Parts: sequence; C-alpha cells; structure tokens
Amino acid sequence: MTEQQPPEEQAAPRPAAHRGPPIEVAEEVLDARGEHTAGALRLALRDMALESGGRDDVPWVRIARENLVRAAEACVRSPNIRMDMLHCMFAVDYEERIELNYALFSLGNGHKALLKVDVPPDEARVQSLTGMWEAAGWYERETHDLFGVEFDGNPDMSPLILYEGFEGYPGLRSFPLHDYEEW
Amino acid sequence: MTTEQAYDTVDMMLNMGPQHPATHGVFRMVLTVDGERVVDVTPHIGYLHRGSEKLAENESYGQVVTLFDRLDYVSNLNNELIFCRAAERLMGIEPPERGQYIRVILAELNRLASHLLFIGTYAIDLGAMTPIMYGFRERERIQNMFESVTGARMMHNFIRIGGVKEDVPSDFVPRVRALLDDVERGVQECDRLLTFNEVFLARTRGVGVIDLPTALSCGLTGPSLRASGLAYDVRKDYPYEVYPYLSYKVPVGENGDCWDRYYMRVLECYESLSMIRQCLDQMEEGPVMAQMRRIARPPKGEVYVHGENPRGDIGVFLVSDGTDKPYRVKVRPPSFCNLVSLRPMMRDAYIADAVAILGSLDIVLGEVDR
Amino acid sequence: MEIERGQALPVFRPSSWERPRDGRFFDSDEGGDISTAKGNSPAPNLIRNAAPGVVTARLDDLAALGRSNSLWTLTFGLACCAIEMISTHMAHHDLDRFGVVTWPSPRQSDVMIVAGTVVKKMAEPIKLLYEQMPDPKWVIAMGTCATSGGPYYRSYSVVMGVDHLVPVDVYVPGCPPRPEALMDGIVKLQQKIKRDAKEGVRSAPVIVGSEPESAPEADVEESND
Repeated sequence: MTEQQPPEEQAAPRPAAHRGPPIEVAEEVLDARGEHTAGALRLALRDMALESGGRDDVPWVRIARENLVRAAEACVRSPNIRMDMLHCMFAVDYEERIELNYALFSLGNGHKALLKVDVPPDEARVQSLTGMWEAAGWYERETHDLFGVEFDGNPDMSPLILYEGFEGYPGLRSFPLHDYEEW
Repeated sequence: MTTEQAYDTVDMMLNMGPQHPATHGVFRMVLTVDGERVVDVTPHIGYLHRGSEKLAENESYGQVVTLFDRLDYVSNLNNELIFCRAAERLMGIEPPERGQYIRVILAELNRLASHLLFIGTYAIDLGAMTPIMYGFRERERIQNMFESVTGARMMHNFIRIGGVKEDVPSDFVPRVRALLDDVERGVQECDRLLTFNEVFLARTRGVGVIDLPTALSCGLTGPSLRASGLAYDVRKDYPYEVYPYLSYKVPVGENGDCWDRYYMRVLECYESLSMIRQCLDQMEEGPVMAQMRRIARPPKGEVYVHGENPRGDIGVFLVSDGTDKPYRVKVRPPSFCNLVSLRPMMRDAYIADAVAILGSLDIVLGEVDR
Repeated sequence: MEIERGQALPVFRPSSWERPRDGRFFDSDEGGDISTAKGNSPAPNLIRNAAPGVVTARLDDLAALGRSNSLWTLTFGLACCAIEMISTHMAHHDLDRFGVVTWPSPRQSDVMIVAGTVVKKMAEPIKLLYEQMPDPKWVIAMGTCATSGGPYYRSYSVVMGVDHLVPVDVYVPGCPPRPEALMDGIVKLQQKIKRDAKEGVRSAPVIVGSEPESAPEADVEESND
C-alpha cells in the first residue's frame, strides 16, 4: 500500500512537501446530541472558552492553560454536565504547541466532550487533575514520559511506561522514528 | 489494620512479576503488606511498551490496522474495528450493510473467544485446572472459523477501512450456526462447572469490591464497570455499526466484587451468542466494501471515537493532516484504565486474594503498554 | 574339576537366554571368529551376547535422551505469542505428548520459550531469568518479534530479537506461529539436544521452516553401536 520511495537523485534535502492530491479539510458538524452537550458546556464554562468546535457528538472547547483546573471543576460540578469520568487524556505535538486533550464523559447525562489546552513546548507545564479523577494520574505520567509535559501537583511522576534513564521524549515529532540504539 | 495493637508491625514489600504466571503477561506489582493484609499496591507497567503509537505515525492507514491487531491480542477484530471506524468517520464513508454485519459477527465471535479465555485463566488463577481446557477447546473452534474466513488464527487484518477485505465463504452461515451450538454447550459447561461452585464462590464473593463513584473516577469500563451496577455499554448507549438492529440485554451486577465481574462476562457470552444468531438471520447479500480510493487519505481533521471491547471502552483519537499517514494516533486502552482501579480494589484485601482481584480485571498487557 | 586340554569349557547357559544365531559367547568357539579380536580386547559383539537386552551408549547420549524427552518450559508469556503458546499446551494440541511441561519457576526449567516482543525495559528481567535457570538450558525464540523485532522493527523501545540478550537455539518465525509450528520447534530442539550431545559441541541455532520439506532426518535415529 505504501508509495514507492523517491529515486536517489532526490538525495538533496527537500522540503517536506505534500505529494498527492490537494489536502481537503473535513468540515466539523455537530449532531443533535453534540449540540446539546456544546450548549451545556458553554453555560458551564462561560468566558473561559477561547474556541470551540466539534464533530458528531463530541464537541471540543479550547481553554487557557491557567484556567484548566477551574474549567475541569466547572465540568464536574455543573449539574447539567457532571463529567464523572475522565475517559482519556493525551497530548498531540503540533511542533509550535503541544495540545493536551482531556476527553470527559458523563455516563449519567450522556455527554462527551474534549477539553483542549495548549502549552508551549519549551515550557510545557500544567496543573494536575489528579484531585478530580483518579485516572488522571496515570495519564499524566504517560504524557510526561512521551511528551515531557510537567504536571504540577501530581504526587508521583516516576516513569510509567518508559524506564529510568530513557533520554528524549519519543512522542514528540522531533524524536526520530527509527532512532534505535543497539541493545 | 492489625487486630492486636500491642504488637509492633512493620509493613513488608512483596514483589510480584514481571514474570509471574498469574499476572497475565509482563505486569509487575509491588504489594505493601501488613501481616496477611494488603496495605497498598504499586503497579508497574511498561514491560511491553512497543511504541505502537509512534510507529503508526509513519505507516499508511491500511498498515496501522495491523498494529491495532497486536494491541489487544485477545480480541484483535474488535481493535481493527475501532480504528477503521475512526478513519471512516474522518473520511465520511459508510461501509455497506453486509460489511457491517460481517464485522459485527466477527467482533462478537472474538468477544466470545476473549471471554472464554478469561473464564479459563481466571479459574486457573484460583486453582481450578479444568475450565481452561474447556475454554480453550471452544476457543480453538472459533479460531478455526476465523482461519477459514480471514486466513489467520490471530492477526487477521481482515477489517479494512471501508468494510471488510472480502466476502465470507459460501458456507459461512451454516458453519457459524453449527459453531454457535458447540460453543454454547461449552459455555454452559464452564458455567455449570464454575459459577456456583462452593469453592469458587468462597474465593470471589465479596472480594475486591469497588463502588460505583470510585470506579467512575478510575475510569473503569466494560464488564468490570457493569459489575458495579451501571448499565453503560457503548453498543447500547452510543450505537454503532448494526448494533441498533439487534436486541440484547446488558447484564448488570450488584456488588462490584470479583464474582460479579466474572459473571458479567459469562452472561455476555450468552448475549453475544444471541447477537450473532440475529446477525445471521438478518444478513443479506450485497457488497462488503465501500467504493473508495485504494489508498485511504482522510481529509484534514481530528476525530475521537470509542467502542465496546471485551475488556471495556476503547477509544481512538485520530488526527489527520491530509496525507496518507496519520499525524497522531492515540488509543485509549480499556485495560490501562481498569488497572488504575486495582489500587482501590486491593486495599485491605488478603494477599491470597491479590491474584483473584487482578485476574478478575482481565487485563491484556499489550494494550496497557501499547 | 579337572579339565583336559582341548576339551570345551562348560558354560553356564540359562535356558531363558536366547542367543542370536550368529552370536557367540565368551570363550565359546561355536560360530565365532576369534581372529577379529585384537590383543586383549574381546570380540566386537561380546557384550551384546553376554547380556542380551542391554544397550551400551555414551553417558552424554543417555543424558541427552532423558533431557530431550522431558523439557520443562518456563511459563513466560510476553505478548501475543503467549496466547498461541497456551493454545499449544491446552487440550487440542496437547504439548504434554512431547514431555513438555510448563513450570512457573526458572530454577526448575530447562527451556525458555520467549513468546513475544522483547522491549528494553524487559531486557534485564529476561537476562536475570535466563541466568537463574540451571544448566543445561535452551531458548526458543517464538515469533518474529523475538527473532528479529518483527512488526516493531527499529522501534525506540524494542530489542531487535532476543538473541541480543541470550543465546537462542531454535527460531520459530511467524506472527504468531501456529501451535503446529511451535511443536515443530520443540521437536527440532529435541533433535538438536541429541545431536549436540553426540558431537560434543553446541551447534548453530535451528530455524523452523528453513529446511526442505523432505530432508532425510538422519539424526533422529537412535543407534547404540
């Protein structure tokens, strides 16, 4: 399925140009369930939301880094939302920023939403959410392992899936893919 | 903790793993024990971290499916299904109905195989040798069926973006019906042998109890969450594929102990059997693959989808930058989150019950570490 | 008892001893060609005739015979291949037929079946387990991950094959190998153990599936001469 590698005369450094048909952008449309959640989120977060969007039944809201704990508390406490489960937490490296995503689920009210927080790569540091969900601890340790994001307030930041002494953060785009050392 | 406060007790560390037959893989936990009681447990994972998410960034969408096969290596087809659904959602394509039926039949068969493995290994964790023989006998039948359909016993790469690789063999429906009768007998046999066995009840009833708020806070999902009394099933709550056309019950437990977690899976086996029978009745002839380009190239965007795996709620976050390789693939592995709840479950348990509690979570280390 | 010169010695022959027709007994002149003996050494098939039903072998061969037919494997599943390894041990394929028994402790095991991906975090425990096993010990690398890294080739956290850590005797390729392939690997290991005992060296590792299908298997024959 992979395309053939370019021939050798292209050994000169070339920009990471996109080969193939022009890139389309998928339009983001929320369905009725997603609109309902998005409305409830807007009410709960009010002025904290910087940006919002979503696809199907998962709306997302981008918030500022310093508002993270306040926004998470609002999501948990607000009676219309009550996000009782931290479904997942992960980072995406966009090189100029690292985007932390918190997938919040409300099993009681049937809401799903993503909270997005941008952190700069050179000062990747946010507040920990271990006080709100017990599951956050392991996700934060994993994100720390792979992306080097620091979480203030997490009591245990020892390596979870990597080992002591691993150099570099393999989740980052700058980490070479086949950087293999002979063991 | 201790009954006699007159004694000075010192907590002792007890290491278990990474090589231990009852850890279901390379899982290590350090128990802090006070006499016979477990005070605290520190799980250590990462002994199978293979960097799947990073590797997926350099492979085309079709190739990523093979990496998903190897995440939860007991329920491979369920894993393929979730990634293909994520890519399809991003591309805005819908697989044809026959393709969806085949997907659901295979996924439910795989759920049966996974639960049979659980019943067997859980029994062997508790000291019973026979059920694993029964479980693997039925599992072997299901794997033979997979082999005739997909060509592989475990790593199928059969569910593709846009449908399934090819249509099933012509004798698929009668063979699956015959298989289901055999497997149903096997499940009943295990059920009769184990479920209300006096010793089994004594080992599992009231052991490793977790209440619902703690379970939710830990992110526990799947049969383990339903054992705590919440009927949350992605197939029912956020239906996908052809699940809305099927009628089935979601078994819910009462106590959230090890026995409930075991029994949920036994009941799910019966539900899966009935689901597959309904699928076979409803399935009609037709195409199995959607019309699409040979190389999947989803438009730029991101999507978060989740589905029901035998172990719990699996989620996939897929970021596409418009090229033929994903920009970022993140898996929300159910076993990873189920392991978080090990700590509250083990608190104040006996050392002898530690294996029973760990076994009842039915973890697969391949997806815990990825 | 006086015996005159030239008279045959009386030989005690229990009636239950069935002597082969072409054989001869010590000192007996019937059917024997004493000229094949040299110096003090007796005639070649002396012992066989003196004690029928007794075989002679080198102690190494006998030990290898015993070892190869009761291989205790370490219960050590790493990843996906472990499921197929369990399948091989279970009722349908029944590895017990080959004398293979799983054992959870490395101190009592002979064979380590490395079933699955070896990652760098697991490298030290694997070495430790191997060192804990008593000699003689053998290693079977099961699956492509354990032989070469497989689908995780050159991933940042994966060791490219368990032979970077411990010496491997049999490679079983496949992702995962079928139970039949693992059984083939076990049989190959049994042959290798016997062959190595005969030759007195540790021979090169065997790769399952690399030989032609109808290769003459000379090394399986049990000859005692």
